Amino acid sequence: MPSAALELRGVLKRYGSALGVGPVDFDVREGELLTLLGPSGCGKTTTLHIIAGLLSPDAGTLRFGERDITRLDPQHRDMGLVFQNYALFPHKSVFDNVAFGLRMRRLPKDEIRDRVGRMLEVVGLPGVEARFPDQLSGGQRQRVALARALVIEPTLLLLDEPLSNLDAVLRKRMRHDLREIQQRLGIATVFVTHDQDEAFEMSDRVILMNRGQIEQVATPEELYDSPATRFAAEFIGEANLIEGVVADVADGAAVVDAAVGGRYPARLPDGGARSGDQVYLMVRPERVDIATAPPGNGAVPATVTKRVFSGDLLAFTLRTENGHELVASKPSVAGYRAIGPDAAVWVDLQDCRVLPRES
Amino acid sequence: MGERIGGFGRALFAPITVLYLLFLLAPISFFLLMSVFRYSPMELYEPALTGENFARLLGEDYYRAIIFRTLKIAGLTALFSLLLGYPLAYFLARTRSIWRGVLMFLVIAPLMTGVIVRTYGWIVLLGAQGTVNTTLIWLGLVDRPVKILETELAVLIALVHILMPYMVFPLFSSLTGQDPNVEKAAATLGAGRWRTFFEVTLPLSRSGILMGSALVFTLTAGAVVTPALLGGQNVQMLGQTIYDLVLSTLNWPFASAVASILVLCQFSIIFLYFRGGRRRAG
Amino acid sequence: MPAERTAGSPATAGIGPTGRPLPFASAAAGRYALGALVTAIYVFLLAPVVIIIFTSFNPTEANTFPPSGFSLRWYAKFLDSGGFVDAFKFSLWLGAIAAVGATVIGFLSAYGIVRFLGRRREAGQSLALLPIMIPHILISISLLLALTIVPFPELGGLIVGHIIICLPFTIAGIIASLEGVDAQLELAARTLGASRLRTLWEVVIPLIAPGLLSALIFAFIVSFGDVYIALFLSGPGRTTLPIEIFSYMQWESTPVVAAITTVQILLIIVLGLVVERLVGLRKLMRV
Repeated sequence: MPSAALELRGVLKRYGSALGVGPVDFDVREGELLTLLGPSGCGKTTTLHIIAGLLSPDAGTLRFGERDITRLDPQHRDMGLVFQNYALFPHKSVFDNVAFGLRMRRLPKDEIRDRVGRMLEVVGLPGVEARFPDQLSGGQRQRVALARALVIEPTLLLLDEPLSNLDAVLRKRMRHDLREIQQRLGIATVFVTHDQDEAFEMSDRVILMNRGQIEQVATPEELYDSPATRFAAEFIGEANLIEGVVADVADGAAVVDAAVGGRYPARLPDGGARSGDQVYLMVRPERVDIATAPPGNGAVPATVTKRVFSGDLLAFTLRTENGHELVASKPSVAGYRAIGPDAAVWVDLQDCRVLPRES
Repeated sequence: MGERIGGFGRALFAPITVLYLLFLLAPISFFLLMSVFRYSPMELYEPALTGENFARLLGEDYYRAIIFRTLKIAGLTALFSLLLGYPLAYFLARTRSIWRGVLMFLVIAPLMTGVIVRTYGWIVLLGAQGTVNTTLIWLGLVDRPVKILETELAVLIALVHILMPYMVFPLFSSLTGQDPNVEKAAATLGAGRWRTFFEVTLPLSRSGILMGSALVFTLTAGAVVTPALLGGQNVQMLGQTIYDLVLSTLNWPFASAVASILVLCQFSIIFLYFRGGRRRAG
Repeated sequence: MPAERTAGSPATAGIGPTGRPLPFASAAAGRYALGALVTAIYVFLLAPVVIIIFTSFNPTEANTFPPSGFSLRWYAKFLDSGGFVDAFKFSLWLGAIAAVGATVIGFLSAYGIVRFLGRRREAGQSLALLPIMIPHILISISLLLALTIVPFPELGGLIVGHIIICLPFTIAGIIASLEGVDAQLELAARTLGASRLRTLWEVVIPLIAPGLLSALIFAFIVSFGDVYIALFLSGPGRTTLPIEIFSYMQWESTPVVAAITTVQILLIIVLGLVVERLVGLRKLMRV
């Protein structure tokens, strides 16, 4: 397992009586891009600011290698932070912006000039040294902010929703460029976003946060396939959550009687489950099988109530005989296109997963 | 985002805290405390508790008249400042004229010239050979110069002039702070111009009216120079009385008692201001 | 009411109308009425200042208006009188010191109020603006009293007093400027290795430089116009211009005062225009 660059243990921050963050525990590993993902107000930016030293936690410790940096001032942490609004100094030229951190470190003038020039090339913006931030486009400002954070050769790169102020096309390209630069420099990075696509495309690992707490730490695939909680299932992609009762448990898998009708095998969550437990059966829309003829035992009859065509995909809303709704997503190929609204179909569920149902 | 006040935050507040505690609050408390000590011709005060300063201040007709006159002039100054300041502030807040900046500047400019300059201006205007009297004689309304200087009227006119800007600014803030759509909404609901003004604009500028009146009232109550130069001995007010007591008779304890009345006025005004403000918020 | 109140002099024209709008027949009539009223108020506001400027060129002894000719004799007299010139110089010197002191302390306090007080900010701001809520005569007397007890140079008392009365204005103005500075810029500077002080110097101060300069000028103006602090704390060798004029006017009143105050008015108008250019005076008056 890769070694940890940064460890957070029991980190807690409260704003008055309001909920802040924590306690949270996690590691940032060498060279990885770790994403803090969650809805606004979930505490991801607060966590990032605690890592940067801009906020001091009410409890808990931050360790950087062997060093306890919990109380260290931000200027001594050597972390490069890119702000959501870039926070470029409006009264300084691009050169002076990027050189700022090097000047604070009292490097010789020649070296500063060299490193600033090289870093602007790395971010793909050579030759703009003399311009001022208000003469740059949004994408260029973003790159300058990145260069300013990277030029100090930070021990950790922190990115606070850096793409959210860009238009859709630019955002897509910057995702790729950012990831590429990060991997080339091999720098451990903490990336904050509320955008699931961004998190999935860029991250090695994702920490899903909600209301100041960590919901799940996982790779993007794990997070999608095996959400640990109802929140994780619903925040990441789309999910059908069907009420059900565990009928039997054997060899780390369960059989669940679902409210839509039918009995399905399902993987168990970390906490496990016992026979008779009230649970949710989670199934992704693309794993809901639809057939126009009864495919065999287990399938449940249903009616199509809505059908939305979006080019490569078809989204079906289905109503089972006992009145439950299901969403299915299918490739828009001839077989599925033939299924019109109001069609009578048979539905089967694949790759189900048991989620705890809190009372 | 409010950070926790650490050493740096404390260092930022250190100079002003030292300055205000040592040179503002401590001396004023000490001075006001003197009002309950006995006067001594030799020392600053005699360390013996007494109520005689207040008894004299409230008992003698001469001082009672001064207190009454001060309150009267302060009240009238606040009133006339409001009556003149409101149309001005309303105009400045609502005008779309390109001259608005200049017009704002013209309200502030006299304020910046200081009290002495403006008081002197009124001496020139109101004197026996001043503009007002020359005009009156030229119009044939009077045949001899009318005595305006050394009357309460002269003091009142000058104080209104000097302090009116302090009324205009809070009014202006509260009028520009209003959502202009509220007035429009009232108009679309069928309220006429005056109806809109009285039912919407005026009540919404209440905080500005209170703030401005409080400022003007207290500044008038503490005025010394303008009453001394324009009113002379005829228009003795509290501020001037304190001045004379400290610099001529060196009666600190009695001066302190007079000042206490001033502070009392001040606190009642501030109290009324906050009560008025809170009622509005609630 | 005395009869002279009905005359159309600028002094009383503004008081005549009640300020309460009358039910005008049409909106246009209402606008004209407001326009006329506002014009009268401006005449009232500016008349004393304009009259002084005219009077200063008056060849005769008496403070008459309109002047009976044109002469610079009162300006000559002003320059000849050692007392007024010394007082003028002293006021310039005192104003400069008080302005620097009030701007530096005001900046520190304003920065603390904006960035460190959080929800207690309103309270902090009110406390910082305390000196405008206290009658200046009270501040002045109390300082005099303190100086008679504590061995502290009286000149120091005068300077401290002026710094105190200037502080509310510098603080209010600098707070307004600081509100335009994105706090993230400071956080960015700190993550890049700048200490808090370095951040102030590299980021905050350059960004609010116009506001600071305005505060400096405005504090100078407040100090230069003050009578109340100087009323009790002036003395031989430290008499401010307003006090010199005040003492002079208690005995006589010639247009030499007009000449001096005209110089003062011009100085202040020029400074005021500089501030207006820099940040707009309104920001500073938001007390």
